[in-house]
Amino acid sequence: MINLRRILENAAIPILATILGLMVSSIFVIMARTDPIPTYQRLFCEGFGPRGCQSFGDLILFTPQTEDGSSTTYFAPLYGEGGHPLSIVLERGTVLILAALAATIAFQAGMFSIGMDGQLVLGAITVAFLGYWIPDQIYALAGVTDPATAPAGLLTVMHLVVPLICIAAAMLVGAFYSWIAGYLKVKLNVNELISTIILNAIAVQLVSFLVNNPMRSDTNTTARTRRIDDTAWLIPFNRSILQDVDWFSGSRAGIGIILALLAAILISLYLWRTAAGYEQRMARGSRLFARFGGIPSERAALRAMLISGALSGLAGAIQILGVERRVVADFASGGMGFDGVMVAILARESIAGIILVAFFFAGLDQGAINLQFGNLPRQLGGIIIAFIILFSSMEDFFRRLIARLRPKAGQAKVAGTS
Amino acid sequence: MIDLLNTYSRQIRLVLIIVGAALGLALFFGMPVILVQSGIRLATPFILGSLAALVATRAGVLNLAIDGKMLLGAFIAVAVLYKTGFDPLVGVLAATLAGGILGLIFAVLYLRIKINLVILALAVNLFVANATVFFMRAIFGVFGTLADPSINSLPTIALPIIKDIPLLAERLSGYNIVVYLSWAMVFVIWLILFRTRFGRHIRAVGENREAAETVGINVFQVQVFALTLSGMLAGLAGSFLSIGVLSQFVENMTAGRGWTAITVSLFAFEQPVAAFFTSLFFGLSEAVSFYLQSQPGVTVPPDLLLAIPQIATLSALVLVALRIRAAELLKRRNFAAQFGRELANLRQGVVVGD
Repeated sequence: MINLRRILENAAIPILATILGLMVSSIFVIMARTDPIPTYQRLFCEGFGPRGCQSFGDLILFTPQTEDGSSTTYFAPLYGEGGHPLSIVLERGTVLILAALAATIAFQAGMFSIGMDGQLVLGAITVAFLGYWIPDQIYALAGVTDPATAPAGLLTVMHLVVPLICIAAAMLVGAFYSWIAGYLKVKLNVNELISTIILNAIAVQLVSFLVNNPMRSDTNTTARTRRIDDTAWLIPFNRSILQDVDWFSGSRAGIGIILALLAAILISLYLWRTAAGYEQRMARGSRLFARFGGIPSERAALRAMLISGALSGLAGAIQILGVERRVVADFASGGMGFDGVMVAILARESIAGIILVAFFFAGLDQGAINLQFGNLPRQLGGIIIAFIILFSSMEDFFRRLIARLRPKAGQAKVAGTS
Repeated sequence: MIDLLNTYSRQIRLVLIIVGAALGLALFFGMPVILVQSGIRLATPFILGSLAALVATRAGVLNLAIDGKMLLGAFIAVAVLYKTGFDPLVGVLAATLAGGILGLIFAVLYLRIKINLVILALAVNLFVANATVFFMRAIFGVFGTLADPSINSLPTIALPIIKDIPLLAERLSGYNIVVYLSWAMVFVIWLILFRTRFGRHIRAVGENREAAETVGINVFQVQVFALTLSGMLAGLAGSFLSIGVLSQFVENMTAGRGWTAITVSLFAFEQPVAAFFTSLFFGLSEAVSFYLQSQPGVTVPPDLLLAIPQIATLSALVLVALRIRAAELLKRRNFAAQFGRELANLRQGVVVGD
C-alpha cells in the first residue's frame, strides 16, 4: 500500500520551501523597483508555459490569440506552436539529473563527495577530443579525404559506434577521477569533501589549459575546441525523428534525456532492489555496524564512488555530444556539477524527487534568462534557488515550530499512545 | 615507507623546514622585484582567506562559505564608494563589517536553525554570487564591471624604517594598508588562538565539543564568535580584491579564491604562521603564471602552473594521512607487543580451566 500521509509529508517541505523562497526573493524584485506578481508570472511563463503565455492560468489551460477571432483552448503543456519552453527544460534538465544522480549515489554510501564538477568537465573534455579524433582516424584508415564523400554505410556504422565509445571513455575517466577521492578516503581516511574540492580545482585548471592551448582550434576570441565530427553527434530530436513536431523546435533535447531517465530508473533499482545497493546504503549509517553485519563497507563505498564518477562523466559527455558539440573556455568554470549537488540535496536523495527538482530548476533558470521584464537580471533565478535550498533544509526548524504552535496536539498524541 | 616516517619524523620535519626557509630566502632575494611584489599582493587574499578558514575550523566548523563572504566584501567595498567620494578606508571597513554580518547570519542559521553545514555554505555561495550581480545590474545598471572614477583604490604606504634598507625596501615596502593588515592579522590570530583564554576555548570546542561543553565552555558563543571573525577576515580579503589593486568590481571576481584559501588552511594544518607562508607560495605561483603570460616566447602554459599548488595540497593531504596512519600503526604495534607480553605472563602464571 502506498503511504499517502508519508508522501504528503515528504512533498510538503519542498513545496513550502518553494513558496517561501519565492516570497523572500520578491524582496529583491521590489528592490529592483518591479512588481513581483507579474514578474513571477512572466518567469514561470517563460520557463514552463507555451509561447504567448501571459498568466499563471495559461500554464495549464491556454487559449492562443488567433487572427480570425476563433478561440480553441488547449492543455498548455501540449500546445507546441513555435516550440514549447518545456522542451528546453528537457534539454537543460538532462545534465542536472545525471549530476544529481551521481551526487545521490555517493551520499547514499555515506561519501559526501562534491566532485561531480571535476568529473563532469573531465568527461566533457574527453568526448570533445575523442569526438573528432576517432572519426579522423577512421577516415584516414578508410582513405576518405572529405567526410561528405564517405560511403553512407561507413557513416552509419560510425554513427552507431563512435558516440558509444566516446560515452564509455567519458564514464571511465569520470569513474577514475572519483575513485581517487574514494580510495584516499577508504585507505587513508582523507576527508572526501576536501579532496574532491581540490580535485575539482585541478580538473578545472587542467581543462582550461587543454582548451586554451593544445586543443584550441581557431583564433576565435574565446578559446574553444574543434567541433566534434557529425558522426559523433547525438542528434537532437528536432533534427531527426521528431523533425515535424513543433513542440521540440528550438530545443537541443535528444537521446540524452532518455539516457538520463534510464539511468535514474537503473539507479533506483540498484539502490533498493539489489544486494550491492543494500550494502551501500548500510555502509552509510555506521561503518562499524556494517562491519558487524558482514558488509564490506569499504568496497561498497568505493563502488559507490565509481558509479558516481561514471554518471558525472556521462553527464559531461551528453552535454558535449548532444548539446554543445565543443568545449568553450568558460565551460570548465560553469559549475554544472555543483548545480547537480544542489538538486540532489533539495530532492532529499529520492530519485523521483531528483527528476522533478532538476526540471524545476532548469525551467526556473530558463525563465530567468528570458525574463524581459522591468530591469530584472537573470540572476534572479539563482537567488530564488538559493532561498529554496535554504528553506528546504530548515526541515527540523519547521517541525519544531509546528510542534511549538500545536502543543496540545502533541500532548494528545502522547496521551493516546500511552 | 611508514616505518621510515615513524623513525625519522622529527628529522624529516627539520630538514623540510630548513630547505623551505633556504628556498624561500633564495626566491625572495633572487627573483625579479616585480615578481616578488606581485606575489605578495596576490598572496594577500589567500592570507586573509586562509586565516578566516582556520579560525572557523579551529572552532570545529568547516566554513566552506569563504568564497561567498569574500565576494560580498569585494562588492560592498565598491558599492559603498560608488559615487559617494568616501575614503577607500570606508570601503574596507564596510566590507569587513558586511563579511562579519554574513558570518553572524551563517552562524545563527547553522547553530540555531540547524541547517546542514555544507548545504548552508553552498547556498550562501550561490546566493552571494547571484545577488552581487543582480544588484550590480538592477540598482547600478551596469553589466560586467562596476567601476567609477570616483572610486579610489587604497593608497600605498611606505614603511618607516624598512624603506631605507636597500634590498628590502622595494620588496617589503610600498604596499597598501590591507597587505600590512594581513601580516598583522597573522600575528593577531596566532595571539588569540594560542595565547588567550578565549583562544583556548575555541581550540577546545574544535577538538572535542562535548568535553568543552562539560567543563562549562559556552560552545554556542565561541562558535558564533569564531564564525563572525572568520566572516570579517573574508570580507577584508574581498575588499583587497576589489579596491586593493584596481578599484572596480567584476562579476564573480573571487574566481574560486575562497576555495583555494580553504585549501591553504588545510595545507598549513590550521596554523596561522604556516598559513602565511603557504599563502605566499600560492600567491607566488599565481604571480609566476601571470608573469610568464606576459613574457614572449615562453612555452610553459600558465593554467598548469596554477594547478601546481593544488596538486601540492593534495599530496600534502596524502602525506599527512600517511603520517597519521603511521602513528596509529606504531601505537597498535606497541600495544600488541605489550599485550602479548602480558598474555604470555598470564599463560605461564594462570591455569585456565581445571
